[in-house]
Amino acid sequence: MCNTIFTVTGCTRCKIVKAFMKETGIAFVEKDIKAEGKDEFQQFYTSNRKNIYRGADGIEFPIFTDGNIIRQGIGPVLAYLYSGEKLDGYFSVGTLHREWVDGIHISSGNPGYAEDFLAVLRYLKGNSMKLKLDTDGRNSYILQMVLDQNLADHVVMNVLGPPELYSRILGEDVDLQDIEKTISLVPQFPEYQFQTTIVPVIRHNREPADISYMTPEEIALTASFIEKVTGSKKHPYLIRMFQPREAGDNRLKSLEAIDPKLLFTYRTAARSFQVFADLERQ
Amino acid sequence: MTYPSVYPTGVTIYNPEKCWNGYTVFQARELGALVIDMNGAEVQLWKGLHGFPNKLLPGGYVMGNTGERNNAYGMQDQIDLVQVDWEGNIVWRFNRYEYIEDPGEKPQWMARQHHDYQREGNPVGYYVPGMEPRVDGGNTLILCHKNLKNPKISDKLLLDDTIIEVTWEGDIVWEWICSDHFDEYEFSEEAKNILCRDPNMRPSGGGMGDWMHINSMSVLGPNKWYDAGDERFHPDNIIWDGRETNIIAIIDKKTGKIVWKLGPDYNAKEVRHLGWIIGQHHAHMIPRGLPGEGNILVFDNGGWAGYGAPNPGAPKGIKNALRDYSRVLEINPVTLEIIWQYTPVEAGYVHPVDANRFYSPFISSAQRLPNGNTLITEGSGGRIIEVTPKHEIVWEYISPYWGKMLRLNMIYRAYRAPYEWIPQLDPPKEVPVERIDVTTFRVPGAAPIERLKETVVEGVLPYQGDTALCVAAGDELDK
Repeated sequence: MCNTIFTVTGCTRCKIVKAFMKETGIAFVEKDIKAEGKDEFQQFYTSNRKNIYRGADGIEFPIFTDGNIIRQGIGPVLAYLYSGEKLDGYFSVGTLHREWVDGIHISSGNPGYAEDFLAVLRYLKGNSMKLKLDTDGRNSYILQMVLDQNLADHVVMNVLGPPELYSRILGEDVDLQDIEKTISLVPQFPEYQFQTTIVPVIRHNREPADISYMTPEEIALTASFIEKVTGSKKHPYLIRMFQPREAGDNRLKSLEAIDPKLLFTYRTAARSFQVFADLERQ
Repeated sequence: MTYPSVYPTGVTIYNPEKCWNGYTVFQARELGALVIDMNGAEVQLWKGLHGFPNKLLPGGYVMGNTGERNNAYGMQDQIDLVQVDWEGNIVWRFNRYEYIEDPGEKPQWMARQHHDYQREGNPVGYYVPGMEPRVDGGNTLILCHKNLKNPKISDKLLLDDTIIEVTWEGDIVWEWICSDHFDEYEFSEEAKNILCRDPNMRPSGGGMGDWMHINSMSVLGPNKWYDAGDERFHPDNIIWDGRETNIIAIIDKKTGKIVWKLGPDYNAKEVRHLGWIIGQHHAHMIPRGLPGEGNILVFDNGGWAGYGAPNPGAPKGIKNALRDYSRVLEINPVTLEIIWQYTPVEAGYVHPVDANRFYSPFISSAQRLPNGNTLITEGSGGRIIEVTPKHEIVWEYISPYWGKMLRLNMIYRAYRAPYEWIPQLDPPKEVPVERIDVTTFRVPGAAPIERLKETVVEGVLPYQGDTALCVAAGDELDK
């Protein structure tokens, strides 16, 4: 099967991807889902429903398929066209509109392909897109290159927890210097935000697992971590609620969601170290 | 309104036999929190203590604010909420809602409180038998501001209203954000259209939309409706009103959802008999133990408010409801009947040609007193009156305090409290103040009502009760 790209009439992101394919000599067939490609896309969607993300605002385009793989959204499609599956992890379907592109994850990709990752970002920026990146602190040297090359307009750092819990929350050993380096870089971007999700922490590795949500004191230590690294209490800092049903670990899916009323205690605790701490609006 | 150039201030009418006697507290313009007795004697001034509003607590305490955020950056944001003792010591303070860094100002925590707050123990902030507000503990509900954007309403920065509950220790344990419930307010498409383009933009801070402008917030408290099984009136639920939208609403404390509402449209069949409630203030449920308990008491200002279809008085559709007199309404929240009212008609003015003599287009309030009287603050003119259920004015006070910076003697909201709430004072002597006959009263130098000559003109007809004014008025309106 040949390369097929499903587009929408007037979609700027679709035009950027098509231009890339033409520039790089990738042959493709375009199917405009508002025109001649309507029925074909309906059939394609019905057959591949699980692999196509439908968000609150509908389905994000373009969608690319070569008959085997499916990529959706400008970031994932460009990354695939540029490097095949090597950049998987760096990009996912975004939620932002117009000139903003999100779903770009510095910490989730293979650091060995950083140059390819940066090349995709450069292509997006070269087409006047604004980029919103996120990081959990890993791969700080990539973030440094992003900063040096002005490749991000907004960076969100998920500060997973205080230093003592970072590896446990992430489920792998973490180089805390890497995390601290990222914390120090994030405020240098034009727009930025720190945020922490009050996650359930598996407190030890024995069975049965001892699982409990991060405490207000641990959120305070997280806010303090940011203050210590940056020397400032005045960063935008968002506290988020964990949604058990979205957990990857089955042991966490059955947890009760944290009582929303308790969130204020977390915010109060965090504000001792980050005065602009606020709660994510549901 | 429609005051002459010269008129008395202080207490002008006082009938001790018919009054519910006590102390009255209010924010005297650019002076401080002032307490007067029934004869207008100033028994305590907490000098310079702001109050939006001031409220007395048992034991000679007062609540208020130590200052207001620079108006260039904030709209009516009070920097804190404090409880002050009789000697002026701050015994409780809350300010840690938002850390504010305004240009040229000292960065600081602020409460951003405005218009109202309620201390646990009492649902409405005024005297209710057996429901004394706590003075040494308990939570406080505070009406606050928060700036945010909500694309459902407008792409402009909004000055949103929030209600928070804080503990005695200052921890926030509950928060409600007005714009989160935009879909529940049932605005018409016309209203949404103008809201989107102009959510009542005010210039502070470079421009922010004061789209709802909640100006009162209180708890329902125990009530007969809930006792009868109506969950909408759970004692913990909160009632508020929004000046700019003409909405009066009750929210469920647990879910935050709107469970009862009047407005924003008063043309619907079930509320048409109420007439349009416009720019209203101080909507609250009369607490259990007071006459009229369970009913909603509100100062319906009139003036200008609302969003909707354009009309000659509101060419863009903002502030499109207009009326140039005020009303105090007591409404049964279940049947929506008007149970009692004080309007220009009850005040004795010819309606509508003289109706603007009872008119405050902003601020103002109404407090139900234990003997069934109602203390009304007709705020823009700095007038407080106590009226009986039969609409007789038995106490009247005009504030003598005009601001130097703002030439108004306005009173935002006055409260009457029992003498025993200020144990530091002996109950004052109550001296009746007879109503002066203004037809004969003269200022020094003015001539008395005497004629040098009176001449009879043959053939003139007697006067008649004039029902042929240039506009329909009085009984003609009812035909």
